[in-house]
Amino acid sequence: MSAPVKASDILDELRRVFRDGLSVDPIEPITPGTRFFADLGLASIDAVVLGEELQKHYGRKLPFNEMLADLGAREERDLTIGELVDFLHKNL
Amino acid sequence: MPKTTANGLTFHYQQAGDGPDVVLIHGLTGDLSIWFLSRTLAALAENFRATAYDLRGHGYTEAPETGYTSLDHAGDLLALLDELQIRRAKLIGHSFGAVIAAHAAILAPERVDALILSDPYFPSLRHLEDLSRWGHWQNFRKEAEEAGVTLSADTWYDLTTFFDQVLHLDDQRMLAFRRAVGLPGLNRVLRLARTTCGADSKLEAGLDAESIARISVPCLALYGEHSPFLSTADHLVSSLPNCRGRLVPGAQHRAPEEAPEAFVAAVLEFLEDLKSVSQSEACS
Repeated sequence: MSAPVKASDILDELRRVFRDGLSVDPIEPITPGTRFFADLGLASIDAVVLGEELQKHYGRKLPFNEMLADLGAREERDLTIGELVDFLHKNL
Repeated sequence: MPKTTANGLTFHYQQAGDGPDVVLIHGLTGDLSIWFLSRTLAALAENFRATAYDLRGHGYTEAPETGYTSLDHAGDLLALLDELQIRRAKLIGHSFGAVIAAHAAILAPERVDALILSDPYFPSLRHLEDLSRWGHWQNFRKEAEEAGVTLSADTWYDLTTFFDQVLHLDDQRMLAFRRAVGLPGLNRVLRLARTTCGADSKLEAGLDAESIARISVPCLALYGEHSPFLSTADHLVSSLPNCRGRLVPGAQHRAPEEAPEAFVAAVLEFLEDLKSVSQSEACS
C-alpha cells in the first residue's frame, strides 16, 4: 500500500484507525481541532494503543514513543488530531 | 495490543528494545502509560528489552474481584515472566509497584538481578512515617472534597473509604466527580472500587520488615527530594545489605511524572554502574 501524502487523506485514515482500532467513532466527526483527551475522553493508555494501531495500519515503525514522551513533558497534557496528522505527514 | 494469560488472568503488556530484561511496574490507580510519558521505556529500549505491563485491575488487564496484596501482584509478575520467557530481570517499580518488585525479589531472588524502588511506602514500615505530613494525600483529600467525596482527615491514603464513597455517590455528585477527574479517571476508580484493592494494598501479606531487610540484590532506593517517605528511604539504605539511596531533585512522590528527566537519568546511571560492577567482578 502506498503511503498517503495529503493531509486530508491522513485525516480520513486516522478516523478509520480510531474507529477500527480504538472503537472511537464520535457523532461529531473528528477534525484537526479535536483533542485526544478533552474531546474524545480517552486516557493516556489509549494513546499507547493508538501508537500500536497506527504502526499496524501503516505497516511500519513510527517514532510514536518519542511523541508520547514529548506529550508527557507538556504543561497542558493534550494532543490535537491536527498534531497527529502532522506527525504522520512527517514520518510516513 | 499485546496480551498474554498469566496466573489465570489476561495481562496487557508492551515491550521495546533488545538486550537484558528490565520490567517496569506502575503504581496503584495508574497504568503502563506512565513509562511512555516519562520516556523511561524509550530510554531503556536503547540497551535493554524493556517490558511494561498493567497490574491486575488496571489499564487493559483484567480486574478480578479479589487478590490485590503485594503477594498476589508479585505472583502475577512471576507468572508473567514465565509466560514472556523472561528468566531473570531487573525490576523497576514506582510506589506500590516498587512494593511488588521487592516482594517478587523475596519470593524469587534467583530471578531478580537488581531492584530500583521508586518512592515505595511499605505497609510493614508505616510506623516510620508521620502520615499527616503527606502533602500528596492532603491535596488528594482536598480535590476529592471539591468533587463531593469526603474523606476523614486522619485516614491515611485510605483507598477503601475513597472507593466506597465514590461507589455510593448520588447522580448529581457523581456528575461533579466525573467532571473533576474526567471519564477515564472515573472509570478507573469505579473499576477498582468494585475489587478488594483498597483494603488489600494496606496489608503486609508476608512482606514484613525482616524480609525486606534480607533483600540482597543490588538495590536503588530512589525517592523524590520532597517525598513524604524519606524515613523509609533512610531505613532501606541502612538496613538492606546492598542498597544505595538517591534523591530526584524537585520531585515529591511521583518522580516519573514530576521530574521525568532526572528520574530517567538516575535509573540509567544505576543500571550503568551495575554493568561496570559485574564486568569488574568477571575480570577479577
